[in-house]
Amino acid sequence: MTVYKYFIKVALKNKWIIIMYITIFFVMTLLNSTDAMKREESFVETRLNIGIIDKSMSELSSGLREYLEKENNIVDILEDEEYIKEQIFLEIADAVIIIPEDFDQKVVNKKEAILIYKDDRKPQALQIENQVNKFLAFANITYKDGRFELEDVKEALNESVEVQLLSSGDSYARTGVDSWFRFYYKFTGYVIIGVYIAIIGLVMSDFRDKNVDNRRKISSKRFLDFNKEMYLGQLTLAAAVTAVFIVASMLIMGKKLGEVYYIKYLVNLIVFSFSILCLTFLISNITRNKYAITALSTVLSLGTSFISGVMVPQELLGDKVLAIAKFFPMYYFVKINDSMIKSLLEVRYELFMQLLFAVVFLLIGLIFSKRAQKA
Amino acid sequence: MKEMIVKVKNVVKRYSEKLALDHFNMEVKEGEILGLLGPNGCGKTTAINCILSLLNFDKGEIQLFGQKMTPNSYDIKRQIGLVPQEVSVFENLTVRENIDYFCGLYVDDKNTRRRYVDEAIEFVGLKDYVKYYPKKLSGGLKRRLNIACGIVHKPKLIFLDEPTVAVDAQSRNFILEGIRKLNQEGSTIIYTTHYLEEAEMLCSRIIIMDNGKDLVSGTTEELKAMITTSEKIVVSFLSLEDEMIDSMHKIPHVVDIEKKGEDLIIKFENGNNNLSNLISFITEHKLTYRKLYSQLPTLNDVFLELTGRELRD
Repeated sequence: MTVYKYFIKVALKNKWIIIMYITIFFVMTLLNSTDAMKREESFVETRLNIGIIDKSMSELSSGLREYLEKENNIVDILEDEEYIKEQIFLEIADAVIIIPEDFDQKVVNKKEAILIYKDDRKPQALQIENQVNKFLAFANITYKDGRFELEDVKEALNESVEVQLLSSGDSYARTGVDSWFRFYYKFTGYVIIGVYIAIIGLVMSDFRDKNVDNRRKISSKRFLDFNKEMYLGQLTLAAAVTAVFIVASMLIMGKKLGEVYYIKYLVNLIVFSFSILCLTFLISNITRNKYAITALSTVLSLGTSFISGVMVPQELLGDKVLAIAKFFPMYYFVKINDSMIKSLLEVRYELFMQLLFAVVFLLIGLIFSKRAQKA
Repeated sequence: MKEMIVKVKNVVKRYSEKLALDHFNMEVKEGEILGLLGPNGCGKTTAINCILSLLNFDKGEIQLFGQKMTPNSYDIKRQIGLVPQEVSVFENLTVRENIDYFCGLYVDDKNTRRRYVDEAIEFVGLKDYVKYYPKKLSGGLKRRLNIACGIVHKPKLIFLDEPTVAVDAQSRNFILEGIRKLNQEGSTIIYTTHYLEEAEMLCSRIIIMDNGKDLVSGTTEELKAMITTSEKIVVSFLSLEDEMIDSMHKIPHVVDIEKKGEDLIIKFENGNNNLSNLISFITEHKLTYRKLYSQLPTLNDVFLELTGRELRD
């Protein structure tokens, strides 16, 4: 087992790369754990100080003024742009709305009916836009035979919507704990690609160095035995890295494992880890160039993480980006992590795809390996 | 009678259009130090790589220890060691770890391996550097490590491919002495070099190669006896007219006269009293000279006569 022993030894000489990746990962996890565990459970509308300049003085504009007065504090304001901006800058007003003369007409024609100045420094200033839009939307619905049914609008606006965050009866519904696990395991994907390609790739390039390999070729060590020990070394390294992530998640959130469908994260990580090991096998059979390997490690880990939804949720990514992401196992890995399932059968397609990628990487890697052996 | 360990017959190797080995032949008997001598790019390394099955060849036959050599001839490989031209070690492993790894490709037993590694370290004089990484070693020490990795498993047949390239004089002597010692301990050596002096000093037999062909083979003396020049006398005259050079051709046994800078190189074929005949000529013609010395032909002269080029070109 000399080859195995020295594979591990050479790998451990690169331990700083592993430590660096894992440290970055755990720092991010630590930072995230405080955010992810916090859960917004209620929302409170705040009263804003607003100024209203009504040039229309129509029934509709009066209705709007009445509604806004009810929800906010009204401050006196002059119709002068500089003055308005100054008032907002000095935080005397949070927002100012100007209702134009042809207000009714613009509402009917669904044109931009109101000019709003708001304090962009305050997130709550957005609230005024929501209130105006809500009023106008309701008013538009009631518009019939040339007039607005303002009583109906008022009634609709008075209805309050009560939102309660309830337990769905599903024991694995999305919770803060689940968010933590999602984040944690999604980011393991990034680290696994980085570490496997960098470490295993670099070690393989040492062993496949033409001159060193010639010494192996003229030795009495059988090619098959040599390869067996090399693959065992890779498997050991991959298993150790995967185990570190699994054990760490158990240590950090061990008491809350029962709150999530943990087997999903576990199986998904193992399958993904295997798939990336096969990708590393392919890369190390294509190139021995250490610079290329280091570059691939960074590009593939960051690139696939980004387009597959590790950094940004898949829902926010464009169709074209996701279409490209589907050519990498990371996409399916993230999809399983983000899914809310009760059984692994529900994500069998995504698991199958990751395994399919593993087989494809392995086969192409073997072709390159055979070709190199013949050369 | 000594066993024939290496037999290479009519081997042809092409790299697309270039003919790297052109019906190359070689035979090595047990206990020999065979020198494969030739200029850079003449096919020495290609020949070794073909013999070791590191390269496929187009035609011919190669036998090691009486058996056909193939990439799967593991029993033959067990008896072979290679010291490649390039220092071929792991930069990330220490001296001891490197030697142990390469030994492990042949020897499974831990205790035997430990003993072999210790002996190899002792043999190449790297005892004080066992914990050093190769990048911390000087060129000469790296070459020694390269040798240790190739001989640690005590092979019967050792291929040394230009092991002294870019090595200081002290390390070169150490390496050459080591090779002699290996041979005395029973290893057969195939030594490629383009250094004439090394080949002359070390090898029991030499094959001269050029353009992928084996030109001649024999001991140093046999090779020198093959050429017409048996003695060269170098004279540097204070002044000499061209007519005088023509007259010199009449001295007995003179075959050629060559002017090289201020030196006149007078070549003689086999014959006695060449030096005294020349001195008589000088006295008779009242010539004055700055220096005068006699030289026996070198391997370079052999190569020059065979190819029309100098080996050092």
